This record gives sequence, C-alpha cells and structure tokens, in this order.
Amino acid sequence: MLSFVQPNIDYHALAPELVLVGALLLILLVDLVFEDRARWATSSLAGLGLLAALIPIITLAVNGHDRSMFGGAYVVDNFALVMKAVFLLAGYVVVLMSTDYIGEGDYYEGEYYFMLLSSLFGMLIMASARDLISIFIALETLSIPAYLLAGWRKRDLKGNEASLKYYLLGVFASAVMLYGMSLIFGVTGSTVLTDIRDGLGSGESVPIITVGILFVVIGFAFKVSAVPFHTWAPDTYEGAPTPITAFLSVASKAAGFVALLELVFIAFEGHEEVWKPLFWILAAITMTVGNLIALRQTNVVRMLAYSSVAQAGYMLAPFAIAGDLSGGNVGAIKAVVTYLIIYAAMNLGAFAVVIAVARKTRSAELSSFGGLFEYAPGLAVLLAAFVFALAGIPPLGGWYAKLAILNVLIDASTPWATVLAVVVAVNSVIALFYYASVAREMLMRPVADGDRTPVTIPASLAASIGLCAVSTIAIGVAPNLIARFSDLAHFVS
Amino acid sequence: MSEFLRAYLTVAVFAAFAGLLIAGVLGLSRLIRPNRPTPQKLLTYESGVDPVGSGFSQSQVRYYIFALLFVMFDVEAVFIFPWAMRLELYQVFGLVEMAVFIVILVFGLVYAWRKGVLRWV
Repeated sequence: MLSFVQPNIDYHALAPELVLVGALLLILLVDLVFEDRARWATSSLAGLGLLAALIPIITLAVNGHDRSMFGGAYVVDNFALVMKAVFLLAGYVVVLMSTDYIGEGDYYEGEYYFMLLSSLFGMLIMASARDLISIFIALETLSIPAYLLAGWRKRDLKGNEASLKYYLLGVFASAVMLYGMSLIFGVTGSTVLTDIRDGLGSGESVPIITVGILFVVIGFAFKVSAVPFHTWAPDTYEGAPTPITAFLSVASKAAGFVALLELVFIAFEGHEEVWKPLFWILAAITMTVGNLIALRQTNVVRMLAYSSVAQAGYMLAPFAIAGDLSGGNVGAIKAVVTYLIIYAAMNLGAFAVVIAVARKTRSAELSSFGGLFEYAPGLAVLLAAFVFALAGIPPLGGWYAKLAILNVLIDASTPWATVLAVVVAVNSVIALFYYASVAREMLMRPVADGDRTPVTIPASLAASIGLCAVSTIAIGVAPNLIARFSDLAHFVS
Repeated sequence: MSEFLRAYLTVAVFAAFAGLLIAGVLGLSRLIRPNRPTPQKLLTYESGVDPVGSGFSQSQVRYYIFALLFVMFDVEAVFIFPWAMRLELYQVFGLVEMAVFIVILVFGLVYAWRKGVLRWV
C-alpha cells in the first residue's frame, strides 16, 4: 500500500494568490448573475481584489522569514514579495486605465477583468516559482489570457493581427523553451532550480547544456521582446487595446525578466561562460535596434513599443556582467529590479496620457499630438515628464534606473562591461531624439485640426496618471525610496 | 571569448545535425523509393471519394465550443480518476482539494450555460 504524506501548505504564503483567485471568480460570477445590471461593478471589483491581494504581501513582508513549499519549487522570499507587489500595483493602474476605455467601447467587460486578473495570477506564481515546471505553468497562465486580451477589439483587423502574431510567436517561443528545459532536465535529473545548479556544477561538463541554456534563454527573450525576437511587439502593441499594450509592455515584460533572473542567477549560475556573452550580444543589439527603429516612427504607440524594446536592452545589460562584480551577482539582480520598478511607473504613465489624449483625437499618430499644450497643458506637461523620465533626465525617475545599470557595468570593471556601458550611454542619447520629438510636437506645433476643446479625463484615468506621475517624480527626487525595496530583492536559495 | 566559442560549438554541431538529419532522411527515402507518378496519386484522397469543388469550404464552426467543453471535462477526468482510485488514502485533505478543483471547473460550465453555448441553434 502506498503511503501519502500530506504536503505542508502554508496558507499565509499563498494568501496573495488565493485572494486574487477569489476576486477573479467573484468577477465571473457577478458578470454571469447580474449581466448588464452590474457589469460596471466588475472593474471596481478587479481593482479592490488587486488591492486586497496586497494586504497579505504586506503581512508577509512584516513577518519577514522566507517560506519554501513543495520541495523548494515554490519560494516566498523578499524578491518574490517585491515583484508580486510590483505586479499587483501595475495591474491596479491598468485596471484604472481600462475602466472607461473598456466601459465605453463595444467590449466584454466581465471577461476582460477576469482575463486580466488571470494573467496577473500567473505573474504572481512566476515571482515565487523556483522550479522548471512551476515556471512553465506560470508562463502559460500569464500568456494565454494575454493572447486573448491582445485581440480584445475583435472587429478590428489590427486587433486580430495583434492577437494572432502574439499567439503564434508566443507558442513557438514556449516550444523552444520547453525543448531547452527538457535537455536540462535530462542532464541534471531535476526540475528544481537549486538542484539544477548543483547538478550542472561549474566549468566543463556535458556540452549539451549549452543548447539547453540557449533555448531556455531564447524562449524568454521572446517574452521580454529582445532583438531579434522582438518582431511581434510593435504590431501587437499597436493592435491591442491601449491599456493592454501598457500591461504587456510593463507587467508581461517584467514577468519575463523575473523568470530570466530566477533561471540565470539560480539554475545556470555556474555556467557564466555560456550565457554571459549571449546576454552581452542580446543587450547591445536590443537597445541599439530598438532605439534606431523608434527614431523613424510616426505613431506614438509604435514609438513607445520600440522604446520598450530598447528599455528591455538596458535591463538585459546587468546579466552580461554577472560574476565580475565584487559583491557577487546580487548587484546585478538589484539593478534589474530597480530598473523594472521605475520603468513600470514611467511607461504606464506615458500610456495613460496617450489613452487620455486619444479619447479626444481618436488617434495615436504623432501629428495628432500637435499643440496639445494649448488646449490641455496639464496632459502635455505630464506626457513630456514621462517621456523625459524614459529618456533618463533628472530629476525624473528614469535617471536613477539608468544610473543603477551604469553603476553595475562600471563596477564590473572588465573591458567588455565598459564597452557595454558606452553602448548604453550612446543609446540614451539616441533615445533622447525621439522622446524629445513628442515634446516638440506638443509644445511647438500648431493644433492639428484646429479643435481646441479641452480633453475630458474620467476620474479613474486621472487617478492612474496621477499615481504614475507621483511615483515617477518621487523616485527621481528621492531614489532611496526605491533603493530600499530593490536592496531586499535577492534570492535566498 | 574562445571559451564562449567553444561552448557554442555544441550549438553549431546541434544545428548542423538537425539539418543533416532532415536532408538524410528525405534523401535516403528518395534514393530507395520507386518513382512512378500517376494523376491518381495527386488527388487529395488517393483511394477515397473524389473531391468535389475547390479546396476552400466552410465548416460548421460551432463545434469548437463543444471541443472546448470536452477538453475541460477531459482534464477534470484525468485528475479525478487517480484520486478516486486512492480516495481513502488522501482522506479529508484529498476530498477538500478535489472539491475546490471541481468547483472552479464548474464555474466554466456555468459560464458556458449562462452564455447560451449549450443550446444548439
């Protein structure tokens, strides 16, 4: 007779996920039971559910000690808590942006928030996953609702294109990544990341692991839209509803980076010789290609899409110098987490203002932003603030993110790291051109169609812009705020 | 960088082998198979019914709903059968976990029912 050992389930550690699942089931139920009478309530429920899921994260952070479940496959450490809080807050801002966008369009409201929360649920799992299978399940849980959300404007051909491209390339990337994972499992005989690290050892070993590591990294390079695996990003970002574009470019990208951090700095730690040069190349071409193509864009959403490709390049840079730092890899992880948090605030803010302007102009073309300063000075100043933050100009948040990246690159003090630091610096200058072109359009060009009626901004959209603006400026003025959180963000392992 | 190149030699070997494998299998079968083309062999179904009309035809799309619902219950069954075989072993813990699992899946069924996809129109 087999014996069964009841797994030790720590409900406190799982509470954020449980609250989120409860909220998304409640949304589905409200949508089904009350139909048209209470559809407006689903967005409030989604927002409240996300905020409620933050409460157990705070109690876990106060409690302090790291929790591990299922044989080390699911770990709740400070890194996981910081990233979960980022996902939930980013999700909350996306819900605020979506409320009127989805409510006014011909969209399925209940299902929209259900899908959004399902995707966020996958991201919460990703932050805790320390096992190949958990990582894969988290990736699929966050991706499949995202494929549907990308095509939410289902009568729009661009929406269909967005969803289909994202789906096909996403599935292809999953297949490549799974193949890599199977090779790694074949060599080490384990799916738990710490066991894989011990199994792979360091230095010379079975040659096939190079192929395994390469395929796994390529799978996630699709997710974070690193060049040359970025081809889906601009079309998907343009065709998806704008709040979803913001969601994909911030939360989904952050989830990809979380998985890369876990895999590279835990499982593949001993094999820097394989992935360090790979990340160097990915980082350098991602930022350069992203910025150069962004220069030529005439559509603000496409420009922000290429800018987010380029930003992913900056975030890939610290991976390329791991092992060269005196304090170990913790510095590289911190730099990436810092950048992710600040990038979330700036990018969500930029998209929120684009949504607000598009409510009047019904367009995201750069020319439709002409003379915005004359009839909506507040929005124009805020959009200028967000794009200059993305460019990295003090005292707006972005400079500290860039500084964190450049700091670790200089700290590494190897020739290759210094070259990469120069590439980052040159790219920041290139990026300034197209970020400034948005500001020039708003401040110096005449109003596109002579229509100077002010833009009406609903309360929830204004709240999302406000939240992003306050955090972008606060981080820029007092970067210690963010440094406290990113200092926490390292793995226990 | 030489260490890097040496590590990535595996990738090159791997890619070359993948290419060679396809070329080898297809080439080998081309070498040893007889080649007698007839018009009959170019039909869609060589020994079946003669195809009528063009290759493009509309099929009944509403079956996909049933396919999706089938997958839902299929997955449910995959988990429920092993659990039912060892019901007394897992005791209350197993019962509660399975109840949670089934309740969440029932939401899917309720959704399909409320949206009227179970009605054949």
